[in-house]
Amino acid sequence: MTSTVQAQRTTPALTPLYFLKIASVLAGLVAVWWAWNRLNMSVLSFFDDLQNVVNLFKRMYPPKFSDTDRIISLTLETLWIALLGTFGAVVLSYPLAVGAAANTTKHPLIRFGCRSIITLTRAVPELILAAIFVVAYGPGPFCGILALALHSIGMIGKLFSDAIEEANEVSGDAVTSVGATRRQRIRSAVIPQALPSFIATALFRLEINIRGSAVLGLVGAGGIGVLISESLETIQYKPALAAVVVVFVVILIVEVVSTSIRQSLIGEAATQQQNKQRGWLAIFINRRDASLNKTAYEKRSITPPWTTERVFRSSAFIFFSVLLFFGISTVNIEWGYAVQNTHKMGTVLRQMFPPGAGGESSLLIRGLVESLAISIVATFLGVLVALPLGVLMARNINVRRFFSLGTRIGVLALRGIPELIIAVIFVSAMGLGPVPGTLALSVTVAVFAAKLFADSLEEVNPAPREAVTAVGASKIQEFFSAVVPQFVSPFVSNLFYLLDVFFRSSTVLGIVGGGGIGYLLIQSIKVYQFKITMAIVISIYLIVLVIEWLGLGMRRLFK
Amino acid sequence: MSPHLEVVANESVATITVAALSKRFPNGTLAVDDVSFTVPEGRVVGLLGLSGSGKSTLMRLINGLHTPTSGTVNALGVDVGLAKPAELRELRRHMGFIFQQFGLVGRATCLENVLIGSLGRLRGPRLGLRTYPKALRIMALERLDRVGLGAQAFQRAETLSGGQMQRVAIARSLMQEPKVLLADEPVASLDPESSNQVLDLISTIAREDGMTVLCSLHQVELAIGRTDRLIGLRDGKIVLDQMTTGINPDVVMDLYRRHGTSDVVREATYA
Repeated sequence: MTSTVQAQRTTPALTPLYFLKIASVLAGLVAVWWAWNRLNMSVLSFFDDLQNVVNLFKRMYPPKFSDTDRIISLTLETLWIALLGTFGAVVLSYPLAVGAAANTTKHPLIRFGCRSIITLTRAVPELILAAIFVVAYGPGPFCGILALALHSIGMIGKLFSDAIEEANEVSGDAVTSVGATRRQRIRSAVIPQALPSFIATALFRLEINIRGSAVLGLVGAGGIGVLISESLETIQYKPALAAVVVVFVVILIVEVVSTSIRQSLIGEAATQQQNKQRGWLAIFINRRDASLNKTAYEKRSITPPWTTERVFRSSAFIFFSVLLFFGISTVNIEWGYAVQNTHKMGTVLRQMFPPGAGGESSLLIRGLVESLAISIVATFLGVLVALPLGVLMARNINVRRFFSLGTRIGVLALRGIPELIIAVIFVSAMGLGPVPGTLALSVTVAVFAAKLFADSLEEVNPAPREAVTAVGASKIQEFFSAVVPQFVSPFVSNLFYLLDVFFRSSTVLGIVGGGGIGYLLIQSIKVYQFKITMAIVISIYLIVLVIEWLGLGMRRLFK
Repeated sequence: MSPHLEVVANESVATITVAALSKRFPNGTLAVDDVSFTVPEGRVVGLLGLSGSGKSTLMRLINGLHTPTSGTVNALGVDVGLAKPAELRELRRHMGFIFQQFGLVGRATCLENVLIGSLGRLRGPRLGLRTYPKALRIMALERLDRVGLGAQAFQRAETLSGGQMQRVAIARSLMQEPKVLLADEPVASLDPESSNQVLDLISTIAREDGMTVLCSLHQVELAIGRTDRLIGLRDGKIVLDQMTTGINPDVVMDLYRRHGTSDVVREATYA
């Protein structure tokens, strides 16, 4: 009798919730198994594939920087496309975000409208938008700018409106209480609070868009991507590698600069506290600012003095204005011609309705299923690699500093390469098909997820870890008993986020021959079958909704 | 108790008249329940009560941040509940409002925060110091001097202490040149020393400018000596309305006894 009671108590009861958890893990594994077979993946052929990629790199090395003028002008064009596209998106996103935020817009219909526009712009991949614009306006960087500007609204608008909703309501009420109008309230209380977040978001998107604009050339929308696809298609491997190297370096530089600005913006309050004690430079700056403030007061000045912060802020503003001016004046666009052709865009839009498969429904379904399979396998493989990488990267997990720093640098460097460029290289090495596409996507998932996992691990509550260490546990015991249980919930939510992001990516792999729905998608645009294009876009959107909905459920289950 | 206030107060002119005022929130809470009172011009009235007794809601009803469920609020001759948006803004221009959480824009400079007080008489939105006219900027600097923070004019508001922030908020109200000042728990987030400073500042300014003040407070001892009338709220109802002079502190303390406890205490005493 006693023994049965003990037996009952030593294993958890199979509650419906527990059963559901086990069932969902099994369902996940079945999904991976299905996708794996659907793509005819095999572990053994990985070695052949790896050998092929190595062989390709051998043929590519050393990179040949032959047409330097063209490389430079295309690199600059890539930068201008990203800059102008991001700027356009910021300008378009601001009113939408104000309209979508609950604390700035009271009318529910306006809010719903603005939110819908923001969500819809994100649903269409930027490359597809670019390809459609190329049909309407003819090839060139203008299409790239337009595509980036429209697609980026999805993220920028969402983050802007989040920042607006985070603004302190009391400040707003204080402005209203003096008899200010709604617009005055928004401008005086809400926007100043949201501004640092706005700038950080815009810079973050600029980084992403530089990666995006590097591949726009694949569909003729300008930038350095055209050089990569051209050289690989004509089997000129050495110039191709040169272009890849340039893309890599440019992305890395922009990322380093932008990250440092963003961190100085977000960590502002923290640095102000630190400035009080640390460093001779901080002491100098503080003394200078204090004396400037004092003089300003003594002179009863009503304009702020040129404190270090104001100098920094103004120079950043001037720098970006000049950059924008240069971008607009140097990028190879005939703006008048672009405006004249806007009516063609209307024609294209009209041809999209009503959406339909146009006799290609079996191809459409097969493509979508393949894309789904690619994203499942790529997420699985990527996460498998990312888990140990994330553990190595997390600053609060005790491993050798050398490994931690090495992984960190490696991952951050690789993170800059757009997945389509990896896909182009893998396809040239292994031939057309979903397998090279999947493997290329896995690489991107791995580096992307490693960063996500490391961030989640760093947010783990240290108190239970101390408690476990205090009972005499080893480091490994402590990791599995105190860190892993806390990591389960963020892991599940990251997993579905990854699936969401990389399903979208998998739908454009077909543009470079990497399998999935992308092939039909790009062909439908090229042969003006916009009804099919629209049908595919809607299907993709619906699948993304299902993934998000599943993720929401799983997040709740594993909370 | 400030004798000066007696001189300024003009009993014949009602500045704020609240009649049978009730406010029920969408979640069903009856925050203000059939409240009526009149504040004559130049009076400094303290509003006492526990948190959740309806003080903040009452204040917000008076300047129209909330709309009444029933009853009327008349402030400076305007029916607040019926006022059109433009009329309400015009009314608010003449009523300063002090918040417990200060309501400053942390990233903006103190001067800019004070200038916000002038938005009611400006057209169009403003962003940044130099979008305000020069004369207003000079005026804002004087207001900051008056609360003793002129030297902090170009410092960000978020770098100040709590007491300093509340003084900037007072300067912002002064920018409105208000006839009425509504102070909603102005010292609830401050330490005792700053609390005294802030309340002294409010009562000095009220005396000097002849403002009508309605100030809600948590602590009785802060109200006594600075107000000339006390109104006590409990569960949204007025349970006390007396001149501060000669008030029995025990009567006031009764406000702060929770229903349950006070009964238990009585039973225990009589048993």
